[in-house]
Amino acid sequence: MNKKNIDILSKVESYYSDYGQRARELKNEGKKIIGYACSLVPLEIITAAGCIPFRIRGDVHDPITKGDTNLETIACPFYRSCFDQSVKGKYDFLDGSVVAHGCDSMTRTYAVWQYTLDLSYSHFINLPHTLSKSSMEFFRAELNTFIKSLGRFTGKEISDDALAEAIGLYNENRDKVKALYEFRKPDPPTVSGTEITKILTVGSSLPVTEANNLFDKVLEELGQREESPFKKARRIMIDGACVDNIELVKLIEDLGANVVIDTLCNGTRDNLPHTETKGDPLSALADRYLDKINCPRTYRENKDQDLQKELESRFGDIGFYAREFNVDAAILYVYKYCDPFGFEVPARKSYFDSIKLPVLYLEDEYSTGTIGQLKTRIQAFLEMIQ
Amino acid sequence: MAEEKKKHKKRRTATKAAASIGPMVKAAIGGTIKAKEEGKKTAYSFIVCLYDEILRAMDIVPVWTENYAGVCGAKRDAERFLERAESLSFSRSLCTYALCGLGFDQWREELAEMPPDAPWGGQARPDMMLSSGQILCDPRNKWYQAAQQFMPDVPIHNVDLPYPFYEDDIHYSEVQDYYIKHIMEELRGLVAFLEKQTGTKMDYDRLRETVDLGERTWNLLHETYELRRAVPTPMGTGDAMNTMVPMAFMLGTQTAYDFYAELNKELKEKIARKEGVIENEKYRLLWGGGLPSWFALTDFNYFNSKGAVFPAETTYRMIQPIYNMYMPDTNDPIERLAWRWFGYWVYWYDQARKRPGSHPDVEWLIQYIEDYQIEGVVMHEAFSCRTWHLGLIWQLNQLAKIYKPIPVLMLGKDGSEKKSNRELPSLVLESDIIDITTYSEIDTRNRIDAFIETLESVKQSKTN
Repeated sequence: MNKKNIDILSKVESYYSDYGQRARELKNEGKKIIGYACSLVPLEIITAAGCIPFRIRGDVHDPITKGDTNLETIACPFYRSCFDQSVKGKYDFLDGSVVAHGCDSMTRTYAVWQYTLDLSYSHFINLPHTLSKSSMEFFRAELNTFIKSLGRFTGKEISDDALAEAIGLYNENRDKVKALYEFRKPDPPTVSGTEITKILTVGSSLPVTEANNLFDKVLEELGQREESPFKKARRIMIDGACVDNIELVKLIEDLGANVVIDTLCNGTRDNLPHTETKGDPLSALADRYLDKINCPRTYRENKDQDLQKELESRFGDIGFYAREFNVDAAILYVYKYCDPFGFEVPARKSYFDSIKLPVLYLEDEYSTGTIGQLKTRIQAFLEMIQ
Repeated sequence: MAEEKKKHKKRRTATKAAASIGPMVKAAIGGTIKAKEEGKKTAYSFIVCLYDEILRAMDIVPVWTENYAGVCGAKRDAERFLERAESLSFSRSLCTYALCGLGFDQWREELAEMPPDAPWGGQARPDMMLSSGQILCDPRNKWYQAAQQFMPDVPIHNVDLPYPFYEDDIHYSEVQDYYIKHIMEELRGLVAFLEKQTGTKMDYDRLRETVDLGERTWNLLHETYELRRAVPTPMGTGDAMNTMVPMAFMLGTQTAYDFYAELNKELKEKIARKEGVIENEKYRLLWGGGLPSWFALTDFNYFNSKGAVFPAETTYRMIQPIYNMYMPDTNDPIERLAWRWFGYWVYWYDQARKRPGSHPDVEWLIQYIEDYQIEGVVMHEAFSCRTWHLGLIWQLNQLAKIYKPIPVLMLGKDGSEKKSNRELPSLVLESDIIDITTYSEIDTRNRIDAFIETLESVKQSKTN
């Protein structure tokens, strides 16, 4: 391992532990920083507007306090923590925020964010729930409204060229993430799940060009790992929504397994699907964010009224990744109060059964306070699949 | 549990109309089972999804799944269905209406008959399920998809029904064309689905008449509820939790219209006799948000026993007068429905823009506070429902920040009295819609007692 590459991992560590430090620097340089917390926000448009998209994280170590004075405790605990961190001033460099119609916790609290944080800019993007032709046209029109609104905020129209360039940059970014994931395929993997979580989390706090540079350097470093620093062990998939802290992954790895793949929002769900570069860019973005991102909030019609076919059409990505990454077992990790994922837990479990993959379902709070319970259950599960 | 169920008394209502609702709902639920036996098409449906008149015009019998869960809750018999859903790996933190429905459905499918002692005869197996991908309520998008695991042969159609959010920099008129177009397309897609399922073409003349009846019902309901401005108020929110039934479950039928005509008459007669909900009305309160605990509607009577009445509520008042909305000159009932949907959701937007710091949800509260001479606001936070219960605390905080209607004398630093204004007192109750395990009668009533004391104290300190 050469010094240059030790430096790049130190940089990842530094950006991860002091999350937002680069955004703060950029803010001081006069850049406009736009916060978001869901994979359904089209970052290409924010980048094309000359702003920096910044993914808002929660903090599992910090109990939710100030946020609870304006937001009910029945909201998604991850999103509550994001709000709590924001009102506590952790992201005081934000100029604006963009919320997508992801779930009720995001949608129904839009005004709470809008009025409490009182940022210079806020916008809500209304994603349809269905994939009909009309839904796609509607969503395209919504994206156009967003473009006009953001253009008014920055004082500069967003050109088609700028949009095309941003789409190219993000597609490049997704190629690099895919390349990072390739290092998880060997047994033992060349990169740990904990490292990947840190790298991707850090990437979502940087301008896309800087994230691309950072990923290039990380890829170079990983390429130099001739021998895996990890042991052969059970290969685990994490299925669920947004896991933006390392604690869960680290816990599983500390218990002797290797986390080799995920279907998480800040993992494969968001980071792998590309945007089509031919044709109308807005239609291509509508297609990516509404259809290609496989989020349970979007309804996919069961055309054949056949349960197995339906499970395959909704969760086929799980099976695909399980095969590609040679997975031994999965952990289905869902936050309490999460209706979109919560209502499909039995269906997801059925799908795991159908592909003969053992699965452990965990419902959790967004807090390190539950680590002890998680440890016991995961340990028992790992023993069971030995 | 059975003993506890027997002991639970019927709630006392102020109006005859509200008292007539129980048998009406029972007959409607029984009617869905009978309809199924007669070979009529039945559809699992959600309230406030814009498809009421479409179903009525096609003689499809809606099976209101939220209603049945509410009935199970009101009869204190939801627990066994919730537990069954939980045993299937559905978390108890999810919408308990949906959990109750899913537990019930799975049980019915397993037995191939109604679960034992199913409340009011049970819930009919549907021929189709009509999900609703709205901007609110994830469960309406996910519930039937989850139910399909137990009923894979029952098709689902999901209707997308968006409305624009309130933004500082965008007026809804900027986006209304593509919203209306999409809503109309979605409704036409629904009609095509229903035609396929029933093998019958939509009769658009009949739909036009049904939509017209639905619109007249909206207007009549609005005018009827406005009668509750009277002092003393002739009807409270406890009754409104009953009288919402025809609007929510029978829109587009003559029965619904006639019900409100009768209620209108009854309220006018009560007003003429100066007959209020209670004899000595001391405090007028607004039910400012949150679905009620269906198993604890007697809490409204407890408020009454303390001299408090609820002349208005935002919950289940899911109508606004059509004559105050923009409605294009069109004969197309689908277009009228789309504009009605859009007009309802943006109803308070323009008014909110005129008051610094306001928001449509807050503006709605302010309007009712003024119209109904309200002295305090009560909300209910049901733990399992994010749809209607997120943002309530913020609404109260924002209301207190921008609206201080009570003149009081305050002691200044120099000891002299100064005129000032303060916000309305408010109370947030916590429990659930049907999960009785979350409810404590003692705690709830202690909170109500403390709130009444606050109201009294504010009354005493109020200056004229």
